[in-house]
Amino acid sequence: MFCCSYILLSDRWRCTLPFIVSSDIVKMAAAVTSRLTAAVCRQFQRVVTVSSHTQSQYAAQASSKFHSCQRRRMYDSWWFRSALNDRALHTSCVRKGLEDFFDLPENWGEQTVKSGAPWTAKQLRVKSNEDLHKLWYVFLKEKNMLLTLEQEAKRQRLPMPSPERLKKVERSIMRLDTVVKEREDSLRLLQTGQERGRPGEWRRNVFGKTFWYRFREHPIPWYLNSRYKRRRFFEPSHVAPYTRLSLEKYLRSKIRKETRENRNQKRLAAMFPKKTALASDH
Amino acid sequence: MLFVPRKNNTQVKYPLYQLGNPQLRIFRPTFNLTLVRPGKEQPPDTVQFRIPLEMTKFDVRNYLEKIYSVPVAAVRTRIQYCTNKKRNHLNQRVKRPDYKVAYVQLAQQQTFQFPDIFPEKDRKHEEGSVEEMQEKFMEDERQRQKPDPRRGGVTEWFGL
Repeated sequence: MFCCSYILLSDRWRCTLPFIVSSDIVKMAAAVTSRLTAAVCRQFQRVVTVSSHTQSQYAAQASSKFHSCQRRRMYDSWWFRSALNDRALHTSCVRKGLEDFFDLPENWGEQTVKSGAPWTAKQLRVKSNEDLHKLWYVFLKEKNMLLTLEQEAKRQRLPMPSPERLKKVERSIMRLDTVVKEREDSLRLLQTGQERGRPGEWRRNVFGKTFWYRFREHPIPWYLNSRYKRRRFFEPSHVAPYTRLSLEKYLRSKIRKETRENRNQKRLAAMFPKKTALASDH
Repeated sequence: MLFVPRKNNTQVKYPLYQLGNPQLRIFRPTFNLTLVRPGKEQPPDTVQFRIPLEMTKFDVRNYLEKIYSVPVAAVRTRIQYCTNKKRNHLNQRVKRPDYKVAYVQLAQQQTFQFPDIFPEKDRKHEEGSVEEMQEKFMEDERQRQKPDPRRGGVTEWFGL
């Protein structure tokens, strides 16, 4: 479907933006990780048809864009050989399964493949939830394709063309995840007032240290869980003096750091008094 | 919660399942599949993947069917253990990470042949570019290294 979206985009691009001629630039425009100027982006958003995990959406898109599929470059479907259909294998875009694990055939054997910049969090925040959902799968398929390419390059003992694409996709995925988490956090805060999705509480462990204990799901209550009962969430009486001592140590180090900073500032102020700056102005 | 370890030591947490719970759905899967060329000869309908250790056969089937719309008849998996014997320059043992291999058989009598992704392409460099000059230089060097053709394959070791 990724290849399908590229082909559709290329046909549309040729009629809407006549200054784009070479296929490389068109590929760049269609590539997952490319981001063009605002005017072009609006085209991209409207035109690109990205595969989602629902079959119904896929079928609808395929049927609506069938006329462009017929204009695409006919090449033998190199992997699909079925006893059932032997004629006209390459007229529809629906049969796209395992080809998505590989790049476009014209990029095979190239030393470098052009790709644009990764998506930034700022650009992703503008998108709707449905768009982000679809983009996640686009990134996933692109990453699978690049991993396949990397492994095959290692197998053939050849350099992988443009390995920076992997890093770009990984960063885009991380940023998308960040944006989605932000939205989920804000929604939860507004609806329930809870700061964290996973419940927890402050507890003291056997060593006297206070930590944030995150709850786990159990099928039985805690008083029937013998392994949980062996885990002590209180500090024994002989450990209590050491918590105070460690607290004192921490406070002492903090104060020492502050005094050191102040002494340093005083020394610098003595070396470079403010009067000289004012005096030089006159 | 079912805890599954991840590479960067955080753990993937699946919710606990009890009878009557709804089907677990993952809306943004983080699993990556790598199609690999099989080391041994495989039947024509078999595709070989490297998958994360946490994936199961059902996960692979749903992944391929839903995301790639590939009809899957059967999936078989195995875990490949990789060596912990190699040592680095500090004589510490270095573990090569394990991986899971999935053999997927396609339905509807489809076949798959792993393609040649690195075909030899004739690259024509443009006039006056650095690559063209380098190519010419290498060609000249090779010509100089060749023995005298008039000797008819006899090496220089034999005098005259």
